[in-house]
Amino acid sequence: MIRKNQFFLLLLLPALSLLVLFILIPVGQSFYLSFHRVISGLPQLGEAMVGFENYRDLFHDPVARHSLWTTVIFVGVTTFFELLIGLFLALLMHRHFPGRGALRAAVLIPWAIPTVVAAQMWRFLMNDAYGTVNYLLFGTETASYVPWLAYPATALGAIILADIWKTASFAALLILAGLQVIPPEINQAGLVDGAGSWQRFRHITWPLIRPAVMVALLFRTIDAFRVFDLAYVLTQGGPADATNVLQLYGYKKMFVEGWMGYGSAISVCIFTMALFLAVVYVRAVGRRLLEARV
Amino acid sequence: MVMRCFLPKIIICGILILFGSWHLIAAAAPSTTEIVFLTWKPSQPAAWEKLIQKFQKKHPHITVKRQVSPHSSTEYHAIITQRLKNRDPSVDVFLMDVVWPPEFANAGWALDLTPRFPESEQKKFLKGPISAGTWRGKIYGVPCYLAAGLFYYRKDLLEKYHFNPPRTWPEMIQQGEVILRGESDPGLYIYSAQFKQYEGLVCNMLEFLRSNGGDILDRNTGRVLLDRPPAVEATRFVRDRIIGNAAPRGVVTYEEPESLSLFTQGKAIFHRNWPYAWAVADDPRKSAISGKVGVGLLPAFKGHNHAATLGGWHFGINTFSKHPDAAWQFIRFMTSKESQKTLALEAGLAPTRKSVYEDPTIQQKMPHLIAFLPSFKKAASRPPSPIYPMLSQELQRFFSTAIIKKNVALPSLAHTSAGRLKKLLALEAMMVK
Repeated sequence: MIRKNQFFLLLLLPALSLLVLFILIPVGQSFYLSFHRVISGLPQLGEAMVGFENYRDLFHDPVARHSLWTTVIFVGVTTFFELLIGLFLALLMHRHFPGRGALRAAVLIPWAIPTVVAAQMWRFLMNDAYGTVNYLLFGTETASYVPWLAYPATALGAIILADIWKTASFAALLILAGLQVIPPEINQAGLVDGAGSWQRFRHITWPLIRPAVMVALLFRTIDAFRVFDLAYVLTQGGPADATNVLQLYGYKKMFVEGWMGYGSAISVCIFTMALFLAVVYVRAVGRRLLEARV
Repeated sequence: MVMRCFLPKIIICGILILFGSWHLIAAAAPSTTEIVFLTWKPSQPAAWEKLIQKFQKKHPHITVKRQVSPHSSTEYHAIITQRLKNRDPSVDVFLMDVVWPPEFANAGWALDLTPRFPESEQKKFLKGPISAGTWRGKIYGVPCYLAAGLFYYRKDLLEKYHFNPPRTWPEMIQQGEVILRGESDPGLYIYSAQFKQYEGLVCNMLEFLRSNGGDILDRNTGRVLLDRPPAVEATRFVRDRIIGNAAPRGVVTYEEPESLSLFTQGKAIFHRNWPYAWAVADDPRKSAISGKVGVGLLPAFKGHNHAATLGGWHFGINTFSKHPDAAWQFIRFMTSKESQKTLALEAGLAPTRKSVYEDPTIQQKMPHLIAFLPSFKKAASRPPSPIYPMLSQELQRFFSTAIIKKNVALPSLAHTSAGRLKKLLALEAMMVK
């Protein structure tokens, strides 16, 4: 018996060592670096242990605070609209109509496109001289074309829009999965009892898909929290830091400025916040799932 | 049980295979030296390829392997510093942006080239790039080509309205306003340049600041000048008169290609760019205004000298390279008069060797390069510092905010930013003895 267990352990070893190599060690190293003052252009500094200095500085860094706010706005708006549109799309895809298979495939296309490619496409769409968005709004009146990425508010809006376009279908997919496990008999029973379509949604469908929506919410919030590529490609954080989301700020500190300690502190903060969110959600979702079972 | 029998056999087999293939690799290894040249994606790859082929023919015992990074200087910097920081010996020669040598020197990434590249040799190059490649009396970079901010204008429109190229920034706007009224073209703007939040913004703004007697900081005294009146006034001028006025609001999203395309489409009267823009603007296949383009010195503010930011690239050798001598052969070849001529004629890159400007072929085929020479000689570097990337990030943030947020009080914004620069410089002063 013991030998058998050892054998299983041996089989697990490759997967485990990969996890350790690519997740545990980097995360650990980030923690380590975040307590040290490491600047790659100034090796004379050595790797002085500075305790919580990086975190203290980060706490008092107005740029970081601004980045946090930008990220929170991004997360709030994108998650809300992605779930709303996702729910709508899921209900639509759940109906029986000709061409349903094609629609289901089509809805998933944005999600299948790599984010960097999608971001590049949105950069072209939003262009102030030849962008399609301007063409649709103003036709050939080029004088009234708007440079969408040139104003802080619209630049952030553009990134939010691109994210919603890209990932609403992911939310839709998760919610659709929830819809498909609802036995049709319940709805039919509701129909027999004379419930209207809103009443059926409100009292039958919604309570039953709520766990699926919660799962979508969990995935979307945590994913949105780590937004990087859209801002990196579309605006590189500008104009006037309006799209300088936390991950991008951390990346710039670490890889552009070479300020490894400070950048790691930012990464650790993002990691901690995402972990916190995950734990809260998983607990809430877990309970809901149990309730749904009962 | 089965496990026990198999495992040792597998291990032995594995070792045998590894050992055998190692022998094969070792046997197949040629007696020549391979050097790895880290560079960005060139816009005229043929010229570079030709030179490398020529070098290999001349030095049959050395082969050059090129590794290509993204074209953006910032991205290239992120990649190269990651490798050098980890003491990666697999890179031998690399291109360094004109602002990097202090950082690379101080970090110990770039090899001190002074013994190989003595002062007698340095004298054959233009002064600006040489001092940019020098840190604390030693030289770490051999100038490959240089660039400087140049002022492009529509010769035809200026002639039509009987103007000479403007000498001051306000004069440029006045002339532009007259031309706009006369042309009554709603798509026409006065000025086009690079104001996106990126490295180019620092170059552009530095030209405004310096042509008003201001600067970001004084490296001799260590004082930060960003919040002094000349700097603040120049920044205010850009915010109030350029962004969304003389230049379309979209310029705050423009890097070099976008701003150049506005000009080459005939939608801007004046344009600031690097020397490469000349070949594009004057090419009838790429430009709607070929033959109508003039080029000269950037304007200044009244009572001050014009200023151009120095750009360009240097060759450096990795400290951890195992073939510094072969790498040096390569650099010497690439920066020879003949190679610089090839890069000028076939890739449009401005030479750093003085003698190339006196070459009859260059004078005949590229007269504009000779015309750029005064600008090249005067071009001034961005503040040299081993923590330049940090300073630049702060400057990009400050300038972008300053020119975009019209309701923010500039002096206090500049003061805050100057404070942050001082903190960074204190860090630098503490560590760099």
